[in-house]
Amino acid sequence: MKLLTKTTLYIATLSMFLFFIMGIIFFQVLKNMSLSELNRELTRIQKVVDDVFPHFLGGQLSGLPGLDSISIQPASPGLVFEDQFGDTLMFDTRTHQFRTFRYLHFLADHGGSSYTVKLYKSTTPADKLVEQVTLLMTVMVILFLAGIFFLNRFIFANLWKDFFDTLDKLKQFDTVKEPLELGEPDVEEFIELKKVLERMTMRLSSDYKELQEYTDHTTHELQTPLAVIKTKTELLMQSSNLGPEEMQLIQSINSSANHLSRLNTTLALITRIENQQFIGRNKIYLVDLLDDQLEKFQELIDLREITVVRTYSDRKQTITMDQGLADIMITNLLKNAIVHNRDAGKIFLEIKNGSFGISNEGSPLYFGEKELFKRFVRDKKKTGNFGLGLSIVKKICDNYGFKISYNYKNQLHTFTILLPDNSSSF
Amino acid sequence: MQILIVEDEIPLMESMVSYLKMEGFKCEEATSYHAGLCSLDKYDYICMLIDLNLPDGDGLNLVKIAKQNQSNSGIIIISARNALEERVKGLELGADDYLVKPFHLSELVARVHSVARRTRSHGEEILTFGMIRVMPEERTCFVEDKQVDLTRKEHDLLLYLMSNRNRVITKESIADYLWGEYGGGYGSYDFVYTHLKNLRRKLVDAGSPDYIKNVYGVGYKFSLE
Repeated sequence: MKLLTKTTLYIATLSMFLFFIMGIIFFQVLKNMSLSELNRELTRIQKVVDDVFPHFLGGQLSGLPGLDSISIQPASPGLVFEDQFGDTLMFDTRTHQFRTFRYLHFLADHGGSSYTVKLYKSTTPADKLVEQVTLLMTVMVILFLAGIFFLNRFIFANLWKDFFDTLDKLKQFDTVKEPLELGEPDVEEFIELKKVLERMTMRLSSDYKELQEYTDHTTHELQTPLAVIKTKTELLMQSSNLGPEEMQLIQSINSSANHLSRLNTTLALITRIENQQFIGRNKIYLVDLLDDQLEKFQELIDLREITVVRTYSDRKQTITMDQGLADIMITNLLKNAIVHNRDAGKIFLEIKNGSFGISNEGSPLYFGEKELFKRFVRDKKKTGNFGLGLSIVKKICDNYGFKISYNYKNQLHTFTILLPDNSSSF
Repeated sequence: MQILIVEDEIPLMESMVSYLKMEGFKCEEATSYHAGLCSLDKYDYICMLIDLNLPDGDGLNLVKIAKQNQSNSGIIIISARNALEERVKGLELGADDYLVKPFHLSELVARVHSVARRTRSHGEEILTFGMIRVMPEERTCFVEDKQVDLTRKEHDLLLYLMSNRNRVITKESIADYLWGEYGGGYGSYDFVYTHLKNLRRKLVDAGSPDYIKNVYGVGYKFSLE
């Protein structure tokens, strides 16, 4: 979840909760206030009623201003009770509705006999007021929340700007390219973050460069002594006064030097792919690429009596990459499909819009699928390979953002390479 | 049959000179850029072997000058760097071939022969060995008058063997020669064996004696006796 979404959500939930509680309290207080106001009003009227009571009894008066209704009844003798307030529902003849009335019930004495008097006052105007005030408050709260929401966005955008700038630059950071350059933030925490990041990335870049140079130099420097060993042993082999045993000793030295130099060359290639030293961008037709490389292996394919089945459903599919790397990638995949095929087996080549696949028959892997693209993972029974071919293919694919996947189904090993959209057919 | 070698690694230079001398070439040695520059016009070389990484100058420069001065000498670049750009640059400057260190001496000799053939021969050249005649340009092969049908790789292999006649050749060097630095390895020794077997069978079927001798545990030797 995004930072902004999260803060907004927090603020929204918390203020919603607070305003809900506050709203309830506010409503209750307002209600109570209006009730006590009604009670006070009724008490005031009670005094007036006391003063003019004979007029009520005489029938000259039937109501008073501020009072909705009055009922006077003779009380049974000896009845005594406190003045009491209450609510009741009554039918209003004017509006033809039941409405709530506040009443005051009390005893009034006149001329030796006592009467129970009930004063009624409608609560509707007070309720209306409470309703309106509450509505107004709610609208205010909603406006306030909206204000907070936009203010939060505004503050957020301003305050965290440096942070997001840094994040964007970090995303684009590449050890091979220039060191990270961040702007000048004015928030202390961000200044610290900038310092830490710059120190880290600087270190990363220099380490990477050093490693790169080291690998480059080592592989290069190793080749010359290896060349000397190889050539000297080869010369020695031509000597006519050596017995078979000595010859075999020399051959095994020569062979080991060969192995070492091949390993060295391959590792150097991987390093150079990782360092993105292949900068060519050629638009290559996959059909041509596959067929060219296939031709190089044709004799090996014939020797092992392997059948190649080609399904090119999109002959216009191109791939944009360095020509050298394209050759290496296809060579390695083809070689893999030939070497690990069964005798008189089949190879399936498939070019579709946006992908190509290569499959070969063979027994299942004896190591995990996840190991397949790792370095030095190989079939130990087959000599002369290092287990680097597929890891080179993976490196090349990673380099160009191609997705390579492997699966094994019905005795068929299949590699599929998905090409990104920008290199699709045109 | 003069060859100029510009190489600053003395032991490597010695090996190359020894092997090339066995093949009947005469070698002019230069261990630096400047020595190379001085020796450029000394002889009419059939081939120049130039190392790119010299302590006192860029071998590519030497290639450029050599191409201007002696246009009918073959040039083979020798480099420990296997960068495609460098290779392309060298070939664009007029070099005929590019050999990556460490190489097999037998491969070096085969390349020298091939470059010499390309730059020197006018018209069709015929290589002979015992009863075998090969026309490299046309890619044809005869045992006496009988044409032998060879595949591309078998033909390359035969040329390689003929360039290294009477020498012990390892199967590694054959694999590297036939499939290049990224193509070798990976079970290719088995393929070398198969190719050799087929080539041998085709030549013998055409009436030639078996010139391909096994040197037990080491490799092969292409010789008359």
